[in-house]
Amino acid sequence: MGVDLEQILRPIDSPLAPYPPKFMTVASGETLVIRQVDRDEIPTLLLHVEPLLHVERDFYDVVAARVYAELLAYYRYRMQDEYVLVGQIGGHLAAIVNGRTVNPRQGMSLHTLALRRGLRIGAHCFAAKMEYHIDILGQDEVFIVAESPIGFRRWMIEYQLEKRFEISHELGGVPSYALTRGLFDRARSSLVVGRRPVPPELLAEAQAGILPPTDPPRPPADLLAATRAMYDSTGTALLLQRGRQELEAGHA
Amino acid sequence: MERQIHAYACRRCGALHYPFRMVCRECGENGPHEFDPVPLPKEGTLLTFTFVHNLPAEYEVARLGLGVVELSNGLRMLGQLDIADPKLGMKVVGEVEVVRREAYARRYGMVFRAA
Amino acid sequence: MREVYVAGIGITSFSRLEYPLAEIAAYPAMLALRDAGLHAVDQVYVANMGSARINSQSALGSAVVDTLGLTPAGAERIENGPASGASAVKQGFLGVAAGMYEVVLVTGCERMREVNNLEATDFVATMTHPLAEYVYGVTLPAHAAMFTRLYMERYGVTARHLAMVAVKNHANAMLNPFAHLHQPITVEGILDSPEAFTNNPYVAEPLRFFDCCPVSDGGAAVILASREKMAELGKPPVRLAGIGQATDTLAVFERPDPTDLLAVRRSAASAFAMAGLTPGDVHVAELHDAFTILEIAESEEAGFFPKGEGHLALEKGATALGGPLPINPSGGLKGKGHPVGATGVGQVHEIVTQLRGDAGERQVAGARVGFTCNFGGFGNNVISMVFVREE
Repeated sequence: MGVDLEQILRPIDSPLAPYPPKFMTVASGETLVIRQVDRDEIPTLLLHVEPLLHVERDFYDVVAARVYAELLAYYRYRMQDEYVLVGQIGGHLAAIVNGRTVNPRQGMSLHTLALRRGLRIGAHCFAAKMEYHIDILGQDEVFIVAESPIGFRRWMIEYQLEKRFEISHELGGVPSYALTRGLFDRARSSLVVGRRPVPPELLAEAQAGILPPTDPPRPPADLLAATRAMYDSTGTALLLQRGRQELEAGHA
Repeated sequence: MERQIHAYACRRCGALHYPFRMVCRECGENGPHEFDPVPLPKEGTLLTFTFVHNLPAEYEVARLGLGVVELSNGLRMLGQLDIADPKLGMKVVGEVEVVRREAYARRYGMVFRAA
Repeated sequence: MREVYVAGIGITSFSRLEYPLAEIAAYPAMLALRDAGLHAVDQVYVANMGSARINSQSALGSAVVDTLGLTPAGAERIENGPASGASAVKQGFLGVAAGMYEVVLVTGCERMREVNNLEATDFVATMTHPLAEYVYGVTLPAHAAMFTRLYMERYGVTARHLAMVAVKNHANAMLNPFAHLHQPITVEGILDSPEAFTNNPYVAEPLRFFDCCPVSDGGAAVILASREKMAELGKPPVRLAGIGQATDTLAVFERPDPTDLLAVRRSAASAFAMAGLTPGDVHVAELHDAFTILEIAESEEAGFFPKGEGHLALEKGATALGGPLPINPSGGLKGKGHPVGATGVGQVHEIVTQLRGDAGERQVAGARVGFTCNFGGFGNNVISMVFVREE
């Protein structure tokens, strides 16, 4: 018998106040519900994140790989104090955002993954995350980094985040920016949007289950096509790969 | 040192141009560079304005005020605005300051404030 | 001057294309050649704005004529900012009209998304006056925004009118398989709901996110031919009947009336004069709505509505797909996208499709006369064209 290894390997989570769900109208006139999910819904999310591992553009592949790891770690009790929020439209998954608390005062924003584009759903869910850290959990500041230039313009520049370059962010050790309570309050009117409480039927629909995203980013017909296009304008590598696949298919 | 931005007076007919062009728009008779630089007045009226949110990367501000000002001599120019609540038709006064940084260069232009 | 017809058309999806730029020019060209039933042309014109800076490819004309296997035909790249497409069509027209060529290929292409959007914004801003505008950090949305503020002040255009243009063009784009955006939007979602400000944030006040066209990759091509060649090929006779071009001061502030788009007015008048037609004869138009305000202003300056009343016509539904003068049935730049070099040629593609009766669900019934307006810079260089379906 002896020591319970699992007890040692699991992080000890601090009690975190739950995120109160909210809803809002997006540009298409549809309704987005943002709510927190628990470990039991993670396997469904993993299913929808996996295809994005092969979408190179806008750094979807890096973000998806890291989100997959973070969700799995949360599910298997190998990440401390992580939370996961999802955005759903008509029950269909539209975005996943996550983060964790470093200590009672400071939070670490992890990722914002939009599975439905063109409606600023990523922006809504990122703001919901910030609301969670500052307003709900009562923290003083949140550390943020961006993998993609789109994220950089939307967050670092738009919210005028403070540079905290002495702090290496968990995501790749790059210099962090911080959203402080002061910055949050100044941007409150554009950050804290959405209405509560969520009407019961709407909430019930969202909680009934996470349906697949309606129009997720898809990989191009050829994997690594973007890379090939950049470095090999003749397309020879593509032709050779196709030729090889046809050969292999012939053999099989 | 007080910096100036200049308009260009045609040496043949005297017509004022801002910005610079090589051939006078009025008489077309001048030779290349046959213009006399004339400092632009710094007082004017705000004709239109905007606050730009989507800026090129070297501007690390959330938004930038820009406006078209009709100067006291009738010429118009574009400038940055250091005005919190601009109104069409308001009186403004300008100063030449750094308006853009490109690599190692500092570019100067007019920044307008409420008069 | 001989008469010039459109013998073939081709287009790619306007979206994000992860292919080399020369391919983006070549693919619709292949489709156009196939449409016309041709294997060779006398001359190739390639419209493009960013190849040298964004895609590190100069002498694009030479690259495209070669990749299409059309050598030894002559080829050039033609650049006129966002009006590159129409400029290339104009050059193609001149070659055939002068009798120098029997049949030419015009292909427009752009691959904006090879760089990130900050870089793309800056690149587009280089169209402005280098000393009097660019140095201040002005962008094209900033110019459009300052213009919009005055239009709102003088003519009573409101944010709601701008939103209506966006909603209409998004709805039209839903019916266009090649459009960049297949996303219906509602006025409630982008203007009225409590969350509208986040759904539709300011880009340059008062213009908002859904007032600005997307950044797109894409290509479009047309084949222009003489009357004799058309008779050989047996395609529906759509004639390029009128072309007009006009320029205006590079510095936007130097124009006498800051709410006028004189280059649109003059180029449209020239085009109609050349075609022997008037704005009242037009059944369908593709205007350059890089910003929603421009669809309204151009519809006035082209002569379809009195100055300052374009937004009233919009309110009445005059420019919707089922209305008396559908504008931007393709979705316009707002809905179908704006790959800068391809746009002008894409507008021709749509008008020819309409005049051939091939537009499917977005067909304007009985369309015989079409109009395009390709707007370069911020109104510094504009080309208008009139197309007529004969027989």
